[in-house]
Amino acid sequence: MKVNIPKIPHAFFKWYCKREKYEEIHGDLEEFFYEKVETSGSAKARLFYTWNIIRCFQPYAWKIPKSQNSNIVMFKNYFKTSYRSMIKHPLSSFINVFGLAVAIGVCMVTYQFMDFDYSIDRFHEYKDEVYLTTFHVNREGTEEQYGMTPIPLGEMLRQDFTNIKNVCRIQDENAVMKAGDNVFHENIRFVDPEFLKMFTFPLKWGSSGSLSDPNSIILSEEMSIKYFGSENPVGREIKATFNDKKVKSFKIAGVAQKIPMAHIIGFNFLINFENLKVYDPTYNFSDWKGMVDATFVQVKESSNLPVIKSGMEEYRKLQNEVEHDWPISSFDFVKLNDLHLSSGEIRNDISYDGSREGRVGLPFIASFILALACFNYINIAIVSASRRLKEIGLRKVIGANKKLVIVQFLAENLFVTFLAGIVGFFLAATVFLPWFTQFAAITTEFNLLDGNMWLFLSGVLIFTGIVSGLYPAFYISKFQAITIFRGTVKFGKKNRLTKVFLSLQLMLACVGITFAVMFGQNSAYQAKRSWGYNQKQALYVNVPDRSAYDQLKAELRQHTDITSISGSHHHLGKTIATSIVHLPDKQYEVQELSVGPGYFETMGLQLENGRFFEEFKESEHRSIVVNELLVESLELTQPIGAQLRMDSIQYEIVGVAKNFHFDNFYYENRPIIFTLADKKDYRFLTVQVREGAELDTYDVLQSEWGSLFPETPFQGGYQEDVWVGFYEELGIMKKFTRAIAILFVLLASLGLYGLVKLNLTGRVREFSIRKALGASVKNIASTVFNQYLLLSIAAIVFGAPLGHIMITAMMDMMFPDPRPFAYTSAPISAVILVIVLIAVISTQIRKVSRANPVDGLKVE
Amino acid sequence: MGRTYLGEFEEIVLLTVGILYEDAYAVAITKEITKQSARPVNVSAVHKSLYRLEKKGMLKSRLSDPESKRGGKRKRLFTITPYGKTALDESMDLRTKMRNQIPDLAFKWDIG
Repeated sequence: MKVNIPKIPHAFFKWYCKREKYEEIHGDLEEFFYEKVETSGSAKARLFYTWNIIRCFQPYAWKIPKSQNSNIVMFKNYFKTSYRSMIKHPLSSFINVFGLAVAIGVCMVTYQFMDFDYSIDRFHEYKDEVYLTTFHVNREGTEEQYGMTPIPLGEMLRQDFTNIKNVCRIQDENAVMKAGDNVFHENIRFVDPEFLKMFTFPLKWGSSGSLSDPNSIILSEEMSIKYFGSENPVGREIKATFNDKKVKSFKIAGVAQKIPMAHIIGFNFLINFENLKVYDPTYNFSDWKGMVDATFVQVKESSNLPVIKSGMEEYRKLQNEVEHDWPISSFDFVKLNDLHLSSGEIRNDISYDGSREGRVGLPFIASFILALACFNYINIAIVSASRRLKEIGLRKVIGANKKLVIVQFLAENLFVTFLAGIVGFFLAATVFLPWFTQFAAITTEFNLLDGNMWLFLSGVLIFTGIVSGLYPAFYISKFQAITIFRGTVKFGKKNRLTKVFLSLQLMLACVGITFAVMFGQNSAYQAKRSWGYNQKQALYVNVPDRSAYDQLKAELRQHTDITSISGSHHHLGKTIATSIVHLPDKQYEVQELSVGPGYFETMGLQLENGRFFEEFKESEHRSIVVNELLVESLELTQPIGAQLRMDSIQYEIVGVAKNFHFDNFYYENRPIIFTLADKKDYRFLTVQVREGAELDTYDVLQSEWGSLFPETPFQGGYQEDVWVGFYEELGIMKKFTRAIAILFVLLASLGLYGLVKLNLTGRVREFSIRKALGASVKNIASTVFNQYLLLSIAAIVFGAPLGHIMITAMMDMMFPDPRPFAYTSAPISAVILVIVLIAVISTQIRKVSRANPVDGLKVE
Repeated sequence: MGRTYLGEFEEIVLLTVGILYEDAYAVAITKEITKQSARPVNVSAVHKSLYRLEKKGMLKSRLSDPESKRGGKRKRLFTITPYGKTALDESMDLRTKMRNQIPDLAFKWDIG
């Protein structure tokens, strides 16, 4: 019986085995095969044969691709030539790789930042089922969404809707927490027991169910360490003092694991919502006029939401019965998943969106730097093509067509970008990101397992590689071999596109520098702006009640450094209330500050018109002082003596204060009224001190407080410090923009340096002849400068105003009141750019002028 | 030529080529090694060594007449070259020389 050898392995063998070895090797295998058929049967023989075929798949049997047309060989050769040309011209390769690497590094940091920002509060298991309840209010034509909710709403939702799985109300209040010797002012989160079901914060110790017991408390890991060190505090007690008088002991029932960095909704202390009754005995859980900070619901199906919304129509009526001023137009829900990103549009919500400028600014900066690096590359590639002319000519003679040359240069460029990618990633991970996280208030590192990041990186690399390499590749491939060898190739000077690229490069640099200059100027401007009152010599102390105020005041009276003392219920930069004033024909939302009589003088507020409050007179309780903005907003022609109604009480305006900034410059000024505070409502004691006595007075305040109230930690400080976060941020912004400016200048000058150097090297002979014929340095310099003069002017003329317009638009988004429109930024950036240009060109001209013309003319 | 290097398996293949003398081709060599050393050898490994030894100049080869038992294909017969013999001798000498330098004491093991 004749058994056939298996066909597929045979075909495979034929494919890989070289022809001259086929006969002998396959002969051997066949011999084995037939023998095996005899001894073990055909099935085993086939298996054995196949196994041998696989075993023989080794280099000695392979068809070695020796043919010159093979793609592998071609790319190997491309790789070799690009490698050689990189090694041969270290300067331009450095500029290319470094420039691209910086740009890619910045892109990676941008990616990381965006990734972090988008992951905020998205680690919860039910992020797609949990919704924040909000409502819309129509105020004078504009619909606004609010993130807080009427107090009873949560309870009603829980009872009335079966398709709502969980409801959780959240309210934040302050308390003094005490465990052992550790006493601190803290922020406490009052929540329904469902909180930990809806927000999946895993616990390190203890159990989450314990929240339904009003006597238990759950701590964050941070707080557990702050009060109890590293030991497990579960079962121990911690004492809370609410409103400086009600004391309640809580049993620690759990400690949360470290909350992921990417969160806004977190907590320090969690206690049962019922405890609000302890916090404030008058707290009314069924009062529709009162608000809680947030009410979250968890639904089984998002399709249930419309049904729930229409069912809430009833609540709307209930709410609007008690709230006449701003009736609710509808209730709404915002998914937890989207809360952070949309919270910029929601007022008074539990989340916030602090990274809008980052989300706008960083991609902007990254794309500009990337574009700049690409133009650097394009321009250098075009100019350095002169060095590769012979190579290209030779390739064409040997048989490369245009397409092949394009492929070669693109491949070479991808190689360079890939290298830049490695360097860039390294730069980003070791320099940029740590530097950035230092002040961006985020802690994040590259996660090497993040697939999207690699996708992004490779996307950026391929995009950059192709975009920056396409034009040079086409440009270079166009040359004819014959003109190259004849030496009559003309390039560079006559090419309009090259000039366009060069001016674009300069323009980008100009925009980048303008960006940095403008932000720097704005930061300086904001830092120097007046607050509208005398914040420098004022200090404040939080007081729990009237008697504490009186005691402290009595002690402080004896200090001669203190020039005035006053009390208030609210305080500038700290607390303020929202009220609605009624005029006969309209109503208006204003901010209300309730202060004592001497408050204006102590804080150094300026009077525009009328008078401030007089010492306690019964009639003064019907007087108010307003700011200029309120007069403007209400279009009062005769403000003094005008009547306003608030909460059905009639007030009379007795004075107008000059505009001042209640909050930092990120916030717009709002219309503000001052009402006279009852002495029993005083919560702040404010002092004005002699100039230079601020530090001493601070110590005095602290020590007086310590001896009067040893049980309560001191809370207070310099008025100047109430905006400390704002000034820190400004400082950060200054540092950041300075670094960005340096990057832009660095990249621009590197690119220019490479370009000018290459250009001058190409003209060495020309300059040598000029010099030999007696041209002066000045003469040579002017020929070089002329070449760049027009381009630079064009770049500055277009770039500076363009940058100005773009950055003004960007800044308007961030500051309600940015630095007034000024043209100084454009000239400053133009001057910086011109200095860089001149510096770069001069170094090269110096070299030319020093060179011996003989060296330039000698031909070996 | 300087020092030659023979791998252990190469040396065995070289020896087998010598043993089989007139009929040294891959299949016969594979079988012979399997028989002598009692270790499973794949023909591919033998091929590899044979071609490498030929490249080094220790073997030379010619093609035989076609044979029906191998599908009418010719086989490549190998013979040792003088250089191959030298390499083999050097390798063997080195081993013997070094083996003889081992003091007898090294092989005296006390039992227990």
